[in-house]
Order: sequence, then C-alpha cells, then structure tokens
Amino acid sequence: MDMKTFLSLEWEIMAPEFIILGIIILISLLDIFMSKRADRKVLGWIGIAGVIGAAVSLALLIDHSAASILYDTFRLDSFSKAFKLLLLIGAVLVLFLAVSYEPKEGIEYKGEFYYLFLAALLGAMMMASSGDLISLFTGLELLSISSYILAGMRKKHLLSNESAMKYVINGGISTAVTLFGMSYVYGLAGTTNLKAISTYLTRNLDEQHIYLLGLAFFMIFIGLSFKLASAPFHMWAPDVYEGAPTPVTAFLGVASKTAGFVLLVRVLLVIFLSVPSDSWPGSDPLLIKVQDYMAFLAGATMIIGNVIALRQRNVKRLFAYSSIAHAGYLLVAVATVSTLFETMWFYLLAYLFMNLGAFAVIQLLTEKADSEDISHFSGLYRRSPVLAVAMAIFILSLAGIPGTAGFIGKLNIFIGALITTPAHYVLASVMIAATIVSYYYYFGIMSQMFFRPQENGEKVMIQAGIGVVIGICAVGTILFGIMPNLALDFLHTNFDFTDLFQ
Amino acid sequence: MENAWIIPLFPLLSFVILLLFGRRLKEASAFVGILLTLASFVYSMLVLFERFSAPTFKTEAVWLSIGDIQLTSGFEVNQLNALMLFIVSLVSFLVHIYSKGYMSGDERFSVFYAYLGLFTFAMLGLVLSPNLLQTYIFWELVGVGSFLLIGFYFYKEEAKAAAKKAFIMTRIGDAGLFIGMILLFWQVGSFEYDEIFRAVDKGTISTGMITLTAILIFAGAAGKSGQFPLHTWLPDAMEGPTPVSALIHAATMVAAGVYLVAALFPLFTASDTALMTVALVGAFTAIFAASIGLVQTDIKRVLAYSTVSQLGYMMLALGSAGYAAGIFHLMTHAFFKALLFLAAGSVIHAVHTQDIEKMGGLWKKMRLTGPLFLIGTLAISGVPLFSGFFSKDEILIAAWAHGHTVLFWLAVVSAFFTSFYMFRLFFMVFSGEPRTDISKVHEPPSAMTLPMVVLGILAVVSGYVNTPWFGTFLGDWLTEGNEALGNGHMEGSAWIMLVATVVSLLGIFLAWLIYGKKTLSRDWLAGSSSMTYSILYNKYYIDEFYQLSFVKIAKGISNFLRIFEAFFVEGIVKGIAGAVQGLGKTGAKQQDGQVQTYGAVAFFGLAVLIVIFALTGGYLL
Repeated sequence: MDMKTFLSLEWEIMAPEFIILGIIILISLLDIFMSKRADRKVLGWIGIAGVIGAAVSLALLIDHSAASILYDTFRLDSFSKAFKLLLLIGAVLVLFLAVSYEPKEGIEYKGEFYYLFLAALLGAMMMASSGDLISLFTGLELLSISSYILAGMRKKHLLSNESAMKYVINGGISTAVTLFGMSYVYGLAGTTNLKAISTYLTRNLDEQHIYLLGLAFFMIFIGLSFKLASAPFHMWAPDVYEGAPTPVTAFLGVASKTAGFVLLVRVLLVIFLSVPSDSWPGSDPLLIKVQDYMAFLAGATMIIGNVIALRQRNVKRLFAYSSIAHAGYLLVAVATVSTLFETMWFYLLAYLFMNLGAFAVIQLLTEKADSEDISHFSGLYRRSPVLAVAMAIFILSLAGIPGTAGFIGKLNIFIGALITTPAHYVLASVMIAATIVSYYYYFGIMSQMFFRPQENGEKVMIQAGIGVVIGICAVGTILFGIMPNLALDFLHTNFDFTDLFQ
Repeated sequence: MENAWIIPLFPLLSFVILLLFGRRLKEASAFVGILLTLASFVYSMLVLFERFSAPTFKTEAVWLSIGDIQLTSGFEVNQLNALMLFIVSLVSFLVHIYSKGYMSGDERFSVFYAYLGLFTFAMLGLVLSPNLLQTYIFWELVGVGSFLLIGFYFYKEEAKAAAKKAFIMTRIGDAGLFIGMILLFWQVGSFEYDEIFRAVDKGTISTGMITLTAILIFAGAAGKSGQFPLHTWLPDAMEGPTPVSALIHAATMVAAGVYLVAALFPLFTASDTALMTVALVGAFTAIFAASIGLVQTDIKRVLAYSTVSQLGYMMLALGSAGYAAGIFHLMTHAFFKALLFLAAGSVIHAVHTQDIEKMGGLWKKMRLTGPLFLIGTLAISGVPLFSGFFSKDEILIAAWAHGHTVLFWLAVVSAFFTSFYMFRLFFMVFSGEPRTDISKVHEPPSAMTLPMVVLGILAVVSGYVNTPWFGTFLGDWLTEGNEALGNGHMEGSAWIMLVATVVSLLGIFLAWLIYGKKTLSRDWLAGSSSMTYSILYNKYYIDEFYQLSFVKIAKGISNFLRIFEAFFVEGIVKGIAGAVQGLGKTGAKQQDGQVQTYGAVAFFGLAVLIVIFALTGGYLL
C-alpha cells in the first residue's frame, strides 16, 4: 500500500478510537511532566472529556453506512457502533467512580490508572470493530494486559496484588486456549479475515474437517468464557473482583464483559453460523448443532453463580458471583440465538446501569473500611435514605423485579428462549429457578439496609462524582424499566444489524 | 374515564414524597397520605359513576417489542375494574385516616404511610390492568407491599417470620400463576385478556390446556386469597399493625385472588374441571377455616380465619358460575370485614391485648366501638337486613342452582360456624364481667372512630344494591353486555334464604347460651371432645405438617446441595489439583483460591465438552 492509498482511506470511521488514543498519549505525557505532588484528578477529568468526545464522534458516525478499512480488519457496522456506544457510556461512568476513588492507604500511581484504563477501553473498542482474527486478538490482549495491571493498582494492598497475579495467570491460560482455537480456524481456511473464512469454509469444507472446526469452536468459546466470567472459566472472578480497586472491579464487571460478549457473538455469527455441520447440502449450521452445549454452559453458569452467591458475606465477592450469574443469563440469549442483537444489547445496557450504580454505592460504603462485609449496609436507610433507595433500585433491577430495566432485559431473554424453534423450555425454566434463588441474596442486602439497626452511625458523604454516577444509573434503570421502547426504538431506527454479514 | 390511569399515581406520589421527605414531615406525613388517597378515591368514584352510563374504556400502547411480538400496556375500565377501584380506594382512604390515630407516636410513622402508599398504588394498578403480564407485575408489587407492611414491626421476631412466610407462601402460588401465564402466552401469542377470551371462544386452545392454565392461575389466586392449602400465611400475617390487616387482609390484597379469577372468568367457565376445582377448594376452605375459627382465642386470628373462610365463599360462588354473587360478596365483605378489623384495632388500642380470654364487659366502656362491632358481626353472620345476608344468600343460591348439593350444605354448615364463632367473639369481648382491669379503657380518637362509622353504615346498606326484593342492580350491571359472565341473578327458592337465616340465628343462639348467658358450660365444647378441640386449636396441624414436610425437605435439599457442592464439585476440582499438591494440603488452601485449580477446572470443562462432542457427533468412531 503506497502512501497515497493509505491516506485516501476513510480514516474518519476510526475517529472515536483516535480520540481515545490521543487522550491516552496526552495523559501519559502530562503525568510524566506534572509535579509529583500535583493532584492527578485533573487527568481523570481530561479522560472523561476524551471519552465523551469519542462518544460524540461515534454519535456523528451513527448514520454512516457499514464500511471497512485496512483490508477489512477494521469495520464500522451497526453491530460495532451499537456496542461501542455501550462501552463508552460505561467508561464515562467508571471514570467518574475512579476520580472519586480514595482508598485508605491512597493510590500512588493515579496517573497510570487513567491511561491504562483508557488503553483497556481502546482494546475493547477495537474488539467491537474488528473484522479479522488478528485485530480481534490484539484488541483482546490490549484490554487484558491493561486490566491485569489495573487489578493490581493498589500496590500496597495484599489482596490487590493477589488479584492481579491470579488474573494474569488465568488470563494467560484463556488467551492460549482462545488462540489455539483460532489457529485451527486459520489452518482450515488459510486466512484470518472473518468474512473470507466464512466464504471459504462455506464452499470448500471437507467433511472430515467439521470435527476440527467443532474443536476450534469449543476452544474459542471456553477461552472467551474467561472474559465473560462464565462456566467453566469463572473461578477467577470472585478473587479478582474482591482484590481489585472498586472502580476496576466495576470496569471488569461491565465493560470487559461487554467486550467479551461482542467478540464472542461476532466470531460465532460470522464464522460458525455460516459453516455447515454436515456434508449434505442444507444441513444446519455448526452453531445450531452446538447450541445444546452452549445452553448447558449457560445453565451451569446461572446455577453456579447464584448458588454460591448465597454463601457470600463479602459484598464484592457476592457481586462477583452475581456477575457470573448475569453472564449466564446473557449466554441464554447467545445460546438461543433468536433476536440476539437487541436482546443482548438491551440486557447489557440495563446491566451497565444497575451494576455500575451498585458498585458506586459499594465504593462509597467500603473504600475507607478494612473489610467489605455485607454489614456495611446495615441501617443504611437511617444513615442516608437517598443512597438506600438508590441501592434498592439497583438491587431490584439486578434481581429482575418488574418496573426496572433488569426485568425487561430478563423478560426479553426469557421470551426469546421460548419463541425460537425449537423452544428452549428447560433453559428457560433453569433461568427462572436461578432467578428465584438470586432473590435470596439480593434481598439479604435489602434487609441489611432497611431492617437492621445501624452498626456505625456515621453519615455517608456523597462526593459529586459518585453522586452523578448513582443519579444517572438510577434514572436509567427506572426509565428503561418503564419505557423500554425508548431504547429499543433507538436501536431499531439507527441500526440494521444485518450489515454484520455484508 | 380516559384519565383513570391517574388514580394509582396519587398513592405512588405519596410513597415517593414520604420516602424522600418523610423523616422531616414526621406526623404531618399522615396528611400527605390522606389527601392523596382522598384524591384517588374521589376520582375512582367519578369513574364508577361514569361507567354506569358509558361503555368500557380501554386504551393501550406498545410497550415492548421483542422480535415480531409486541407487548402492550395500558388500562381498562370495565364494570369489575371500576367497582374494584372504588372499593380499594375507599378502604385505603379510610385506613389512612384510621392509622393517623392508631399509629400515632410510632417512631417510623412516616415509613408506615409510605408503605401504605406503595401498597395502594400496586393494588390500584392491578385492578386497572388490561393484560396478564401487567397484572402479574402489579401482583408481585402488591406482594412486596404486603411484605413490608406485615413486617413493619420487624424488631418482633414473629412479625419478621410472618412477613417472610406470607411472601414465600404467596410466591408458591405465584409460580403457578407465572407458568399458567406463560403457557397461555405460548398458546395465544398474547397476554391480552380480550385476545385470550377470543382464543378460548374460537376453540384454538385445547380443552386440556384451558383446564391446566386455569388451574395454574387459580394456584396463584389461592396463594393471594389464602385458600387451602396455601392459607397458613394469612393468620400469621396478623402480626402486622391492625390497620394493615384491615386494608390488606380484608378488603384488598386477599380479594386480588378472587378478582383474578373473576377477571379471567371466561377462561374458567370454558373448563368444567377448572370451575369444579375452584368450587371445591372454595367450599372446603370455607368450612375448614370456619371450624378453626371456633376455638381461636386471639381476636385478630379469629377474624383472620373468618376472612379465609369468607374468601372460600367467594371462590365457591365463582366456581358455581355465580360471577355476580362472588363479586357482590367481595364488596360487602370488604366493608364489614374492614369494619371488624378496625373495631378490633380500637379494642386492642384500648386494652393492649389481643387475647379475648382477658377481655370482657367492654360494652359499657366502648359505647361506639361496641355497637359498630356488633353491626359487623351481624353482617358477617348473615343476619337478615344486613349486607352479608344478601350476598351470602346469592352464593348459596348459586351453589344450589349449579347442582353442587354437597358443597351447598358445606356452605350452610360453615355459615352456622361463622355466626357461632363471631358471636362467641362478640360476647367474650363485650359482655359479661371484665376479666382484667378496664377502668382506663376509653374510646379512641375521632380519627379512628370516623372511618369505623363510615364502614358501619356501608356494612348495613351495601347489601341493598343487589337484593331479591328491590332489584338486582349490581348483578345486572356487572354482567351487562357479556354473556360469558352468566346471569346477574339466579332465581332461588325462598327456602334457601330461610335455611340461611335459621342457621345463622341458631349459631348466634348457641353462642349466647355458652358465652352470653352462660347456661351451657364453656367446657361443653372444649371438654366433651377435647381431641377435636385440640385439632381445631392447632389449626389441623397444617403448619406442623409443612414444618415437617416442606421445610424439612427444602432444608434437606439445601444441605444435600451444600454437601454436593463441598464434596462432589470441589471433589473433582481437588482430584485434579491433588495430583499437583496432595489432597491434604488443598483442603486448607482451597479457601485461598488456588490459581491452578481455576485453570484446571476450565481445562477439564473444555476436555469434557470436546469428548462429549466427539462421541455424540460420531467423529471418533
């Protein structure tokens, strides 16, 4: 490619990514040249401004028709736009949390915190936009490696160190497994471009290669289940969630999970939905054939997450298991494939609001304390009624009580599982049962807040940054719970997901 | 009527205001709650009057679209809904006023009013819903509201346990409702009541499916309305404040089950089996609860069991195709039972005990509460000229006309029981010599007496909207324009009315002999058949049975799962890690979270999946 063609590419479709990249460079330079004692908070505000800028530039691109540059490695289609929007909203909220985060012993490297965080975001955005296994993988690694360091950001905090260590080791295993799976795909198709893989395999697939493709599918799926925190690669989540600084935990729970699902769905739909599962023409795609396995893993994830959560006293561990459970609900949507995009998008939107809101409250209550025991919530209604009501909204939504966005999200998934042919009754029933189990631990927090006398009578001060997050999340949770069509209409009018396959 | 949606919003507003500013408003919270519920009551009344002349109003908008399916939300004002709006908002309004006196001085006064607002909102929303899904949503919200109200005195262990029990017992029923709802949706493709009835009419759903869904939905109704065998939460729920009992356990929430069956009545009439189930459960609950009521000594518990029994009556009416009769009794019962609860609250307020063995001779001291309680008692006993007489008569006629001879006689016997235990209650509380010091007893403040007077009047006159003598206005109006609901009134022989009157008077007479005049020894009942007495007193040991069976089983399962989790799941994990570390070490270190275990589990999972895939796909052979 000579310089002229290089410059003539439609670079503007990468504008959001470039803005984030620019901000990363800016913040890291500022961090080096700023006086050691200067407050690094200003870097956080720059980061927030940058992410909002990226979101605006993405909004300007919303009518842009599907396009790709750099030999189809970077794609801007409805799929990537819709999910990048979620990532950016989540990132702004998490940055607000990070700016207000002040653990007891303080954080020495707050500057790094911001640009590593933005680097992780950039990786996630690249994952959403890639059309090639190579760029998918580099995006994934950018996200992962930044997250490993972020988890260990509280350098003098033992648990934080442990968390980073465990995260990096398990992450390494998952990466190896994913990559191994991808190498099979490459070996069979001879190309790394997703579309080219799909075209080649649809036409030239040797019957004897189908099993190898199946192997590849399982390896990619299991490898990525690390990012989703779903079974069988879920066990790291509680330890890492517990030890990581709360804003990072929030990021892992929301943005990282979203990115994982985006990547998974793109690979599954583009490659495995087009590949036949048998030699005779007109046979089901491979994805349909492995549906039962995905359904099984979804069920197992829901059960494991919700059942083990029952025994947790540590709030962050509890939310780790709850996050595993939610990954399970999302996998139900993936496994049943029907109305996948809007269902998944809406659920992730709802999850973003309710989970970030909950983490904002958790951060507020526990950052100064030595432990994260659930008793920190006791008597919250007495100490701060507003905070307790907000937390109650998030919890009700996580539990899927009507009137909240979480309910609509679950309802979508549930009905989606029933209206496809063949309908997934068993999976839908498991989902209901798991949800009912989850009431138990969610209402445990509720009863702490409303029914227990307070243990320490101190008032809770709400910093501006966290107040913004809690406010936005509470409004979002209720608004999309009562008028879900606001979000769904927006999705329908602006995005046409079929351009994923173009 | 176009603006009927605003009715539930007033109490919601009250809830929000009180939740956020309640602590600052303190006792002034009462006025917020009272004014806002007054607004919804006035509006409901206007809607009801408008509905007398105007046709049913229904409006809907697309709420959520999933794929090709569109779910709607909106509201509907038909006869049933309009009547329910009126009843619920009226009783709620009166209870709001009453609570101002009753709850005065409570530390969490404003919280109580906030909860009342939430509950009223949910209940009003429920009766406006035009489709099953929306109904279900509000149904659950009603459950949450009642959970909060029953558990209001959460520092009392019993109250906490009762709140939990109410929530769990009704949830068991709700699971049935939910499954029934989903099955209907699957068959009809819509949650709309109208669509469902159309499908039932056209016969697109098989009879078996109709029966199944109707019975599943009835399970939900039985949970909320305290029907056997899901009734045990209702008496325990008496741990809540007394105004709550009047609101939730007399007029509104427990009536929701009856309402649901009535709202889905065309579905039930399409299946004889379903109707029969409703009638059977109703009749059995009626006599079962009435017999327990005979020996209870807690004033509120007697009323609770009488509520269960009366709800059974309503179900019996619906199950005997007596749509109008069931709704009619729902209305009269709402008034006289709320009256009885409020009067009981006034007694408890005065003597600070709920044990009727310790009461007595209050008639002279409570010149207002006494007569009002008597009116309620006469009404529930079905003494002629009081409201309960007319509605109970309609139910008996319906049961007889539908050919349920056995159920009819069961109902007659429970009517006898009812008048007996109600008058036993009355005599023990108000007549005879005081059994404790009652010199300080006085009438409650006017905030409490006023609602009782209003209900007292209604308990007498509300029966006259539907009588065989002056016209069956209510029944005709309720069934107008809808064949499926049956006749507004069924012609019955005069002897049924005579029988009902005789048994009710007989019950009163017997109660008077034992507890009023004391000609017959009290041990006559307790002593002569102590076995029966202890069975009744212990409520047929139903709770013990549940304790032994379900709770034990549930505990067993949870223990099993815990052991399963601890030994089996982790066992596999440990087995692999053991190769690396040795089994002994892992036990202690398991809690630290071994990284290699995590990886191993993932790897093991992958391996299992691949092997199964290979075997089932036939790739290995």
